[in-house]
Amino acid sequence: MSTILLEVATPDKGEVFAKEINMLICRSIAGELGILPKHARLLTELVPHAMRIKMDGGETQLFIGGGFMEVTPEKITILADSAEMPDDIDVERAKSAYKRAEDRVNSAKNKGDAEIDLKRAEAALARAKARLLVKGVPIP
Amino acid sequence: MANLQHIRRRIKSVKNIQKITNAMDMIARSRFNAAREALLSNLPYVAKTKEIMRRVVGQMRGREYEHPFLKTRDELIAEQKEADGKFLFIVIASDKGLAGSFSSNVFKEAHDTIEYDGTDTGESKGADDGDDENFHKKNFDALNAVKPIASRTQKQQRQVSATGGMARATGRSSGTSSTGANVSVAREYNDAAYIDGIELITVGRKATVHFQQRGYNIIKSYHGISERPQYKYAKEIADLVMERYAGGEIIDVTLIYTQFRSAISCVPDDVTLLPLVTDDFSKASENLKEEYIYEPDVMSILDEFLPRRIATRIYGAMLHSAASELSSRMNAMSNATDNAQELVGRLNLFYNKVRQAGITNEINEIVGGANALE
Repeated sequence: MSTILLEVATPDKGEVFAKEINMLICRSIAGELGILPKHARLLTELVPHAMRIKMDGGETQLFIGGGFMEVTPEKITILADSAEMPDDIDVERAKSAYKRAEDRVNSAKNKGDAEIDLKRAEAALARAKARLLVKGVPIP
Repeated sequence: MANLQHIRRRIKSVKNIQKITNAMDMIARSRFNAAREALLSNLPYVAKTKEIMRRVVGQMRGREYEHPFLKTRDELIAEQKEADGKFLFIVIASDKGLAGSFSSNVFKEAHDTIEYDGTDTGESKGADDGDDENFHKKNFDALNAVKPIASRTQKQQRQVSATGGMARATGRSSGTSSTGANVSVAREYNDAAYIDGIELITVGRKATVHFQQRGYNIIKSYHGISERPQYKYAKEIADLVMERYAGGEIIDVTLIYTQFRSAISCVPDDVTLLPLVTDDFSKASENLKEEYIYEPDVMSILDEFLPRRIATRIYGAMLHSAASELSSRMNAMSNATDNAQELVGRLNLFYNKVRQAGITNEINEIVGGANALE
């Protein structure tokens, strides 16, 4: 099976992931994307989500906290704001972040003011959700 | 004649200073390790961002998309000549001193860029990666070549008069070192028009104080972050700069910082941050045949991606500067410790000599006295 190189870099942790993979399933701001080797050139922005990586020896998930993705036929480069392997995720922290973000979203919605706050809270919620998903923890 | 107590006291105080410099050395060393770690983790991200930008933008050249942040060199020269905006410089130095010539090297580079007179000192060249260039300097010749003085625009007038002033200042005070002339030019020449056309953003207390004293217009300064930079400050600077740039208030933005090459080599560097000059980007993309697919579309991707690149660049520069500052301090402090050690040795020798001389004297007196009794 042919492979494609996936590289994930973050501003503060260097290269989090660099391996040959078979398929990448990720979510851009325009929708879900599945990327196989020899994909056409593509540049897009990613939303916070749990990315699925299929490679020899099974499938892993990787948390991406938003960023950009460039695809060339041989290589996928992801510039992530943050990225975490399942082992690095702190479940308790993610859970409490999820609760906090949920409350903030609700209160921002009820008040109906400050669009920026709502956006921020929603982004935080999405991040917390994705972290929990990567870990396979049911969302409360 | 030095007395023994006096020398003893001096040895003691030198030893105390040595203890302090030694402690500062160790503090700088541990912080340096953290700063270098942060820098090294950031490098791949910055490199990849740059790579992607060059590929994508290079491939776009000559097509119909226009983004305000992207310019060719000719367009930039035209802007610098015609448009009535200001030049902005971001100077990244340190909060604290006692780091050898770290800050003064940055200021030298900054003055060199701000009051550029057409002669390149060429110190930061050579090992440059050759693609982050300072178009503020590079365009000087092109701007200068437009000779007809009568039809000079205000902008040109500014750059030329300031540099003319520099030439004169250097000529007049030919006895002083060129650095001195550089530093004092803004004050000495007192070219209000030129200084008016310049804005500064300073990071680090040293930088703020230095440029404030010389009458520059500092629009924002950041203190207390130079040793441990955070991305949010870089983002803040980037947002401010981009807003002013988009509003047409400033024409180009130059970033002056210290590039960290190794623990013993930190070189001040100056790069043009905005606009992104696309002239040699095509190299990166010349063997690309098919066009990129953009999701959702080119403009919205560029609108997100280019600001990210700018902020990343500033953050990277801050990390470079932090690592450089701490390594300079480390070197300065370990040198100071060594020097103190040497001084203590010399003082000890002197102390022993004086003591011996005293003893010899006393013996002489005793012997003399005994002889007199016989």
